[in-house]
Amino acid sequence: MTHLTRCVEMSDDGVLDPGHFHLDEKSFRFCCQSFLQHSDLLSDGWSWTEVKGSEGFMKKTVLRPRRNSPLKTEALDFMTEEEKVEEEEEEDAQVECEKQDVVVYEYHVLYSSSYQVPVLYFTASTLDGRLLSLEEVWNSVHPDCRTQLLNEPWNTLTQQEHPVLGQPFFMLHPCRTEEFMQPILETARREKRRINYVVTWLSVVGPMVRLVVPVSYCTVPDQNRV
Amino acid sequence: MADDKDVLRDVWFGRIPTCFTLYPDEVTEREAEPFYLLLPRVSYLTLVTDKVKKHFLKVVKTEDVGEMWFEYEGTPLKWHYPIGVLFDLHASNTALPWSVTVHFKAFPERDILHCSSSSVIEAHFMSSIKEADALKHKGQVINDMQKKDHKQLWMGLQNADKFDQFWAMNRKLMEYPTEEGGFRYIPFRIYQTMSDRPFIQKLFRPVSPEGHVLTLGDLLKEMFPAAICQDDEPKKYQVVIHGIEPLFETPIQWLSEHLSHPDNFLHICIIPSPSD
Repeated sequence: MTHLTRCVEMSDDGVLDPGHFHLDEKSFRFCCQSFLQHSDLLSDGWSWTEVKGSEGFMKKTVLRPRRNSPLKTEALDFMTEEEKVEEEEEEDAQVECEKQDVVVYEYHVLYSSSYQVPVLYFTASTLDGRLLSLEEVWNSVHPDCRTQLLNEPWNTLTQQEHPVLGQPFFMLHPCRTEEFMQPILETARREKRRINYVVTWLSVVGPMVRLVVPVSYCTVPDQNRV
Repeated sequence: MADDKDVLRDVWFGRIPTCFTLYPDEVTEREAEPFYLLLPRVSYLTLVTDKVKKHFLKVVKTEDVGEMWFEYEGTPLKWHYPIGVLFDLHASNTALPWSVTVHFKAFPERDILHCSSSSVIEAHFMSSIKEADALKHKGQVINDMQKKDHKQLWMGLQNADKFDQFWAMNRKLMEYPTEEGGFRYIPFRIYQTMSDRPFIQKLFRPVSPEGHVLTLGDLLKEMFPAAICQDDEPKKYQVVIHGIEPLFETPIQWLSEHLSHPDNFLHICIIPSPSD
């Protein structure tokens, strides 16, 4: 049995099971393998880190210009889409700026056996190695994704120990994952569409912390359909 | 059983006599006297050391004061592990009081989490309780509680004398359907100092598919078999919970209900046996 068909079967066995919107660990691995195959095609930079005697995780490192608009002021929300695009382009043009203006993001996708869902961990540091503080990370969250953060910052994004590496990482809390995946999975089931849990989940939570999942992950027919 | 309630009290009121000394390089204006404190095993270092901070700030130059952190024999102490776990893991079988070094400079941010306020501790504590309840009851008990109930758990932990207040609420997190014989899964973590990984945490049920009650020994057999020695070999490891070595025959469900920390996890330390 190929990894691919196994990942699709997961949709039948696990996700399509009424009332269950979680992911078992084997299915997580297969979803990741399928994800990584597509990442290789796109040269999207994801890789798998194997951990001795235990589960592994997916990893990607990205350099980005710093964006820092304080959490309390919602200035960016009043911009038109065009203005936003312009601002993004300006930011991109500044990539070559000083070390302090570039942030290195390292994203890790791990499996939480407690919640039976994937979890996004990441670090953010400047080029000279200083880690961003929690406040800086909160401030860098995309303005479109701030509602949850403003309501319950301490239940949304905090610093936690990486369960494999034992080092401080930021973590997007997984306790709501099943809740927001449920309607997506139900719709997919109704429309008889196959979906890769990890792709779908990451395209929902990733943008909050500036991690974009290219749309082709969802549309490549071989990956998502039989 | 009346006896079992006493166990909860003993766990709650467990204390570790501790001597805090300032890291020698940081002494500036005058010599810093050591500071002695009885630390609650079930609390967190950063939650109970305001007095330590005040004491040492009197002798440290203001411009040198960064975030306070603690170290034991060269190892930065992870404040987000309960105090009793830190002691059992790093300092079991050593003489009391526990000797902890205090730093105000060079925060090891690659090793330990920042703790800028008690909100950070509260968030960590509540997220552990939520995770434990996800394992025990699919999160249904903690999600059915109100915000004020969550606060009651947190306030209970903050004040050592609030045993009754804490347990009035925590009792609900310890319930399970009688016919199932225990929780869905046991929230546990196994720590060892010799490992690259910070801890072992996997799914483990309190009752086998055949209906047998599973014990601490069964858990170890699956997660860390080296901890169980054969009859003819010398004991290599001690398996320590709250400073004691429970019998391997103890049902894991009973341990989970009685020897869990307030964060609802059963923290198990595996340490090398003393070689005397």
